[in-house]
Amino acid sequence: MSGKQAANPGTHLSESELKDVIARWAGHDRVPKKLRVINDTSDFFRVDYDDVVVLDDHQYFIRNYEREGRFSIDEQPKFWVRRALDLSDGSVKIIKMVFHERFNARAGDLTFECVRSPKKEAVILDMVRGHPNFMQGFSLNDASGNIVRIIDFIRGKTLADHVLELGKDHEDYFYNYFPAVLDEYVELVNAIRFLHERAQKHGDIRRDHIIRQKETGLCRWIDFDFDYLHKENMFGYDLFGLGNILAYLTGRGDVSVEQLKESGSPVFHQLIADDMNIIFNHRVVNLRKIYPYIPEALNLVLLHFSMGANIFYDTTN
Amino acid sequence: MTAESMNSLNKDRHLLISVDNSENAKRAISYVADFLGGVSGFRVTILNVIPEPPANYFQTDEDRKTWIEEHRSEATRMLDKFRRILVQSGFAEDKVGTFLDIRHCPSVADRIIEIQQSLECCTIVIGRRGISKKEEFLFGSTSNRIIRSGKNCAIWVIE
Repeated sequence: MSGKQAANPGTHLSESELKDVIARWAGHDRVPKKLRVINDTSDFFRVDYDDVVVLDDHQYFIRNYEREGRFSIDEQPKFWVRRALDLSDGSVKIIKMVFHERFNARAGDLTFECVRSPKKEAVILDMVRGHPNFMQGFSLNDASGNIVRIIDFIRGKTLADHVLELGKDHEDYFYNYFPAVLDEYVELVNAIRFLHERAQKHGDIRRDHIIRQKETGLCRWIDFDFDYLHKENMFGYDLFGLGNILAYLTGRGDVSVEQLKESGSPVFHQLIADDMNIIFNHRVVNLRKIYPYIPEALNLVLLHFSMGANIFYDTTN
Repeated sequence: MTAESMNSLNKDRHLLISVDNSENAKRAISYVADFLGGVSGFRVTILNVIPEPPANYFQTDEDRKTWIEEHRSEATRMLDKFRRILVQSGFAEDKVGTFLDIRHCPSVADRIIEIQQSLECCTIVIGRRGISKKEEFLFGSTSNRIIRSGKNCAIWVIE
């Protein structure tokens, strides 16, 4: 294609050449009649379905925006995060445009200042390149210098959804599936240790931020653009997240006092405040009271995340 | 008695008071002022460690510089005020120093201990407001970490 006049900003491809590659990877019926090429993503709301975003002469054919479920509210659209086709090879990518956000995050009744930092995520993407337990990708600057992250799309479910499908009841799950789940969890904790040893936090450790890749079964951490001003313990919030996930995996879901009450469980009357999650006081972490076959050693780990704990983890070691 | 131990007796005892802009820091200063103001043989360094957020925390380098400058000027005013309180309580002007340390530090407590060792202070004085268990769990406690990690020095925790 050399020698042809570039007709679109930031790319050497003409409109008809772009349409050809879109047809090759998305199919002829998906080629838009009028093609819009964008090389400045500052206003991410302007980036629409069927646009082509050009970053450093890489072309991405924009598809739908991504959504994220939070706290049982219906999934919320993330307008700055778009699914796209990489027009160089047809692979599916997640394009994360710059959305600066500063807000007070809440953990129970505690609040702390948080930011969404594209730079942090770009740094970590470089740091974890080739690591099997992190999403993979790289960053490119658009025409206005915005740090856009290009992430390999991971096909699969969240680890949280995966465990809900295992076992016919908790006991079956615990004896027949949980050992493998625990191995996966330990791998994920080691991955977070990899970050912490390099003075980086994940920043938003939640169970829906682990995707279990369909083809490989590998679990990968996603979305590490959150950062917060830490106080004494730089990794406290990450460790809190790891504790919540361990309790979720051990219990095959959250176990709340409301559930126990509704189900008429006799354990409901035996619970004391010290059995509850230190931040989310309605969640039970002393799970051995409910499932007595949970080994004490594992339960003791869970109890470090309880209201009754006097010693807390300050590292992943 | 050896010359060395004589020297050590003649040398002022050096206290490091670690402060921030909280009420408990004011209490730590007031305590030292009440307890040692006018007593000879002591000198004090008032220390404020401000952990600098990582560069990625800011949208631009300009934002980072502004953040640092705002914190520096606010902390300088606070340290001057605390210094005046100690001088008014009877410490000689040349016995009260201030030290502002703004830097990236994963743990404020570890940095305070590092400075205590480099300044050869015999005592760390720190205020404590008594944080809740959940706050300590999520954010950590500087005073608790100093108590756990401090070596070869006395630690006064003022509540």
